[in-house]
Amino acid sequence: MLPDPRETVLVRLARAIRQRCADHKGDASMQETLVQVRGLSKQFKRDNGETFFAVKDVTLEIRRGEIFSLLGPNGAGKTTTISMISGLLTPTQGDALIGGNSITKNPLAAKKMLGVVPQEIALYPTLSARQNLQFFGKMHGLGGKELDRAVDEVLDLIDLGDRDRDKVDNFSGGMKRRVNIGIGMLHKPQLIYMDEPTVGIDPQNRRRILDTVLRLRDELKMTVLYTSHLMEEVQEISDRVGIIDHGQMIALGTVGELIQKVGEEDRLIFKVGEQPVAEALLRRIESEAATATRARYERREIANSDAGALATAEGILTVYATRGRKALPDIIRLADESSLDILSVEVREPDLEAVFLHLTGRALRD
Amino acid sequence: MQRILDIALNDLRIIFKDRSIWINLVILPIVISVAVGYANGAGFTGGGTVSLRVDGFDADASAMSAQFLDAVRAGNANLVLCPMDQTEADLCQLGDEALTAELAQTRLEDKVSLATLEIPSGFGAALARGEAVSVIYRSNEDATAPSYILQAVQSAATRLSGAQIAVQVGGQVADSLSFLQFSDDADRAAFLEEIRGRAAAGWAADLITVETVQAALDPATTQTSGGGFAQSIPGIASMYVMFTVLPAASAFILERKNWTLQRLATLPISRAQILGGKLLARFVMGMIQYAVLFGFGALALGVTFGSQPLTMLPVMIAYTACVTALALALTTFITTDMQAQGITLFMSLTLAPLGGAWWPLEIVPEWMRVIGHVSPIAWAMDAYREIIFYGGGIGDVIVPIAVLLAATAALFAIGVARFRFSK
Ligand SMILES: Nc1ncnc2c1ncn2[C@@H]1O[C@H](COP(=O)(O)OP(=O)(O)OP(=O)(O)O)[C@@H](O)[C@H]1O
Ligand SMILES: [Mg+2]
Repeated sequence: MLPDPRETVLVRLARAIRQRCADHKGDASMQETLVQVRGLSKQFKRDNGETFFAVKDVTLEIRRGEIFSLLGPNGAGKTTTISMISGLLTPTQGDALIGGNSITKNPLAAKKMLGVVPQEIALYPTLSARQNLQFFGKMHGLGGKELDRAVDEVLDLIDLGDRDRDKVDNFSGGMKRRVNIGIGMLHKPQLIYMDEPTVGIDPQNRRRILDTVLRLRDELKMTVLYTSHLMEEVQEISDRVGIIDHGQMIALGTVGELIQKVGEEDRLIFKVGEQPVAEALLRRIESEAATATRARYERREIANSDAGALATAEGILTVYATRGRKALPDIIRLADESSLDILSVEVREPDLEAVFLHLTGRALRD
Repeated sequence: MQRILDIALNDLRIIFKDRSIWINLVILPIVISVAVGYANGAGFTGGGTVSLRVDGFDADASAMSAQFLDAVRAGNANLVLCPMDQTEADLCQLGDEALTAELAQTRLEDKVSLATLEIPSGFGAALARGEAVSVIYRSNEDATAPSYILQAVQSAATRLSGAQIAVQVGGQVADSLSFLQFSDDADRAAFLEEIRGRAAAGWAADLITVETVQAALDPATTQTSGGGFAQSIPGIASMYVMFTVLPAASAFILERKNWTLQRLATLPISRAQILGGKLLARFVMGMIQYAVLFGFGALALGVTFGSQPLTMLPVMIAYTACVTALALALTTFITTDMQAQGITLFMSLTLAPLGGAWWPLEIVPEWMRVIGHVSPIAWAMDAYREIIFYGGGIGDVIVPIAVLLAATAALFAIGVARFRFSK
């Protein structure tokens, strides 16, 4: 599907306005730094005994009232970072201040401000949803009527009011995830960490979770640290994003700022199957297609388990252009002239995926 | 403190959610302690009671002899002296008959009584003059009488009149033991002289001197010194406390896998509170285990806990604390649930028999008894036997309790230093 160029403009405009509004609305509070992470590193030992940095020298600030996302592929170090700034892991180097309290030197004060939604489903499987919520509520110092009210509210929010007495073990994956999230916000923390809360969730439930995250910020005025390896959701909900790869922060800013880094080019992706693409064609596209700046060809082997040892290849032609819609007809014509069959076309306006590709030369997901 | 209790209660709730806990907590240990109790000679005391019947002839009937008999009773709470302690329920099984020397002999042969004790006339007067006097102690021909009766008599004798009486009793005991064959009177006299020498030396060292005679006993003759249920109930209970408490290791592994342990570590509570709550839950499980078996032993099997039963409590606490600390320490050396289950079973099934949970350590060779004391069960059993069989008080069990608490501290220190909340 090709996006309407006007829509592209609208989307960008909307984003700019939202950013402006957010900056404006926040004023003093928006500028206030709630979390300050400085030079955080974590070294682990591999099974073979050698050490490596899962997180290296990460520095960032999270401002009060914003949704800050850590975006990075599997194994980038997102969970390790969250574990350190939530007091689970001791940093090898560096520290984090939460509301001014050091997580290493004054952990109890720092943790009091915090709600954590771990990536893993951290629940007691043989207890009911209500019992799980009650127990963790007590650990946050809630009790009596206040606890009951908080539990009921959360059950309502995660839509499990009618299943509250069922054993968590018998819940579906999505329901467990919702309980997992609910525990993190039970005590209405100022700050909530959510580590890949949408992993393994169907689109409908994912939508609900994202809406919940937005409500936490907009209605409950919470500050959210969100991690994901899915750029669409990060792009949608985040005020600011840190891109993390191999344990290092490689870019940090608003979505708009990050996209500016890649020069705001559209990306046209052509699938060409097993056909080779000549270097000459790439050069022709770059010089003849309107607004095109670069063209690349990449051939990926696809191991096909059904076909046994037979591996098929998928050729992908990627063209960067300042106006993708304008370049498209030219490229199709040029391909036609070189007898290249185009199997599918996708036009992507600049997104975080492109930013990641630009910075690392790899796709965010494979 | 509130958080610690909340964590402990939550863990207990999770433990009891699993209905099969009742099998391990109640059914199996009861079945096993009854079976082991019979194997240790419980049937012998008839009807499952552990009353130890001893026929006594007090020909002296003086204040001194009464004092002596009292001292014997104090030495063992389960001792019933007949006919002096006869009850309406005919605890002595004498019916209306008067106890004669012949009857006493038959009763001994029929194992109605475990031993006879004769205090000669003039006993009190002789003691008063500081002269030697003998108390005659006879046990079954096949020497099946539990050694603790003899010990009760011996300690009474020792307490009452020192080395002199102790030697006399020792001599009589030697006579009553058929396997101690003396070739002639000179041989016997030499034997007695040796006892006298050792007794005097022992008395100077403030020891129960007659024990030198006991050491010469063939282990086979004291086979049944187990005391049936009074041995099996604390033994099997202590083993089951291990079965109940050591799975803490599994639970820790599981909580780490479930990530709930990590979640707890991100909450505004200290690690000490988390560990404290979890260990408290296991400790309580251990104490419940003890309560179940001791309760069953007392109510259904008639086991009594000496003359100072409250002394049981500090022993139970020290032992359960020790096993709890052991569980924590073990947790830090394993990573999978399989390992946890394996090591729990291995530990319980080696430490239990080694420590005298299945049979009394008195029947095993000295070197095994020494090795057995690496097991906390051995120390606990030393204390329980002291309390149950010899009517010991807190002063008599202070050493085992101290050893258990020291081990608790050491294991706890290892555990806390090595414990990790995340893998
Ligand atoms: N306890 C540990 N011991 C050794 N290596 C670890 C440990 N925890 C994480 N790692 C390694 O550190 C790196 C970062 O892991 P981390 O879980 O932080 O990644 P992530 O960004 O959260 O990935 P994902 O999206 O898959 O959740 C990985 O290579 C991981 O294998
Ligand atoms: Mg992760």
